[in-house]
Amino acid sequence: MEQTNEKNIKDFEEMVKASEEAPSIEEDYIIEVDNVSLDFYTRDEKIDNLKEFFIRLIKGKADRKAVRILNNISFKVKRGESIAIIGHNGAGKSTMLKLIADIYRPTEGKVTVRGKVAPLLNLGAGFDQESSAKENVYLNGAILGYSRKEIAKKYEEIVEFAELKEHMHIPIKNFSSGMVARLGFAIAIDVKPDILLVDEILSVGDENFRNKCARKVKELRDEGVTFVIVSHNMPQVKSLCQKAVWIENSEVMAYGEVNEVCDKYIKYCNDKK
Amino acid sequence: MNNTVEIINTKLKDYTIKKKNSFKMNANIVRELVKKNIKVQYRNSIIGALWTVLNPLLNMLVMWFVFSTFFGSGDEWYALYILCGNIVFSFMRGATVQSLPSIVYNRGLLTKNKISQFVFPVSANLGAVVNFAFSSVALLGVMVVTSIANKESAFGPTMLLILLMIPALFLFSYGLSLVLTAMYVFFRDIQHFYNVLLTLWTYLTPLFWKKGDLLKKAIPAEGDPGLLYYALRFVINANPMTQFVEYFREVTYVATTSGWTLDFYGFPRLGVLYLIGLAFFGIGTLVFSLTRKNFIYNI
Repeated sequence: MEQTNEKNIKDFEEMVKASEEAPSIEEDYIIEVDNVSLDFYTRDEKIDNLKEFFIRLIKGKADRKAVRILNNISFKVKRGESIAIIGHNGAGKSTMLKLIADIYRPTEGKVTVRGKVAPLLNLGAGFDQESSAKENVYLNGAILGYSRKEIAKKYEEIVEFAELKEHMHIPIKNFSSGMVARLGFAIAIDVKPDILLVDEILSVGDENFRNKCARKVKELRDEGVTFVIVSHNMPQVKSLCQKAVWIENSEVMAYGEVNEVCDKYIKYCNDKK
Repeated sequence: MNNTVEIINTKLKDYTIKKKNSFKMNANIVRELVKKNIKVQYRNSIIGALWTVLNPLLNMLVMWFVFSTFFGSGDEWYALYILCGNIVFSFMRGATVQSLPSIVYNRGLLTKNKISQFVFPVSANLGAVVNFAFSSVALLGVMVVTSIANKESAFGPTMLLILLMIPALFLFSYGLSLVLTAMYVFFRDIQHFYNVLLTLWTYLTPLFWKKGDLLKKAIPAEGDPGLLYYALRFVINANPMTQFVEYFREVTYVATTSGWTLDFYGFPRLGVLYLIGLAFFGIGTLVFSLTRKNFIYNI
């Protein structure tokens, strides 16, 4: 009895410590993007071999040129809230997701994320082409911080959700894009992330699977998972998110309540025509 | 109300714990990658991983067949001589060749997940350790056969020093892998360059020829050995692989068959191997650490 008490006290102390390390819960933003800018360095022609590099170096032409991909982006997402990133192709939406996933480092500004981020979901998600679907499930599980045992427990569930029971031994390179998307989605939702980054994936796959995904997304959202969605599908964005950021030409054109931002964007698109 | 707060708290706790265990997490990733690399290597082959045993054995037979009359004359242990050199050199070659394109090859994983870039060179080198272990089976087999043929046992206590040598070889090969892997991200012609260099390196290392024999041939019958001799001796001795290969050979069977004592071939030379290993490890880690944040923009 005494032992259980001690254990409880220890657990409680750990919990208090964990919540002290984390920010206060009232003002808890799960994602904070604060004046973020990102530059890519490019040369007029990409130099990727030594010979050219040395020739350029001798001629003095090896200097790099900065191209601004994102300029002064700011937005915040509360825990349990979902946000959409909208805009034209090449506006920097997917790059913004990669900043949140900590794959790119901002040149200026700061991105703060307080939670576990599932992999970037888009076509051909982080899979190894030569390995079988099963090996990829284990590899992705390890990347997301799970041990082999933990993944083995989840494996059946993942396969069942992806509806790929007969195909798990086939190398990913022989999968159709829809099958890859299904597997990626099944893994990402099964690892119980705090934040799910979704890049254009909800419109892949057949009607049946799309509906299943939509249902699952709503379910997860109700459980408090934060979604960051890049999509061109406005009705979907409006039904899933509370907020939206519209990025155009590397800058924020509008940020705020989802319907407002989407309507502005649609109007802008129609005016352009 | 109480309930909700608790849920949020466990979530935060879960997050902090997950973040602290990043070493364990990387170890899990490395294990999956090593497994994957070995599986992919032998996919669609009938005898599978048995090739790791057969490969050095067949190589040894070819070399033995071709070179025994030229270089091995008078050496009844020549088959072992070749095999020892081969599996040590294959360790380094296998690790570096696999590691070199690994960052670029795994761009699908790196551009979509937050993973430490170090896991790829590490898993390539650990894969080489696994292959080395398989090759050791071939080595033991050949040791038994040659011992029987020569009516003299090649097995001796110095063989235990192999276990102390492998970490040094690992450090060397891992450090070299880090430099090559980082360079390949920025300069793709490194791969062709390194392939040519590897061929040259194979011939500059005493794998089938013998250091003593070669140097003897370079000395003229009379007078001063001349510059050529010193240059040749320097090139051979300055080659780190010469040191690893010769040490491995000596502790595996030469010490036993020649009746050398352990203290002569013991720890000072092992110390030199560790110095080489640590130097490459240090340089490699430095180069890789300084460049890795820019990998993502170049793959």
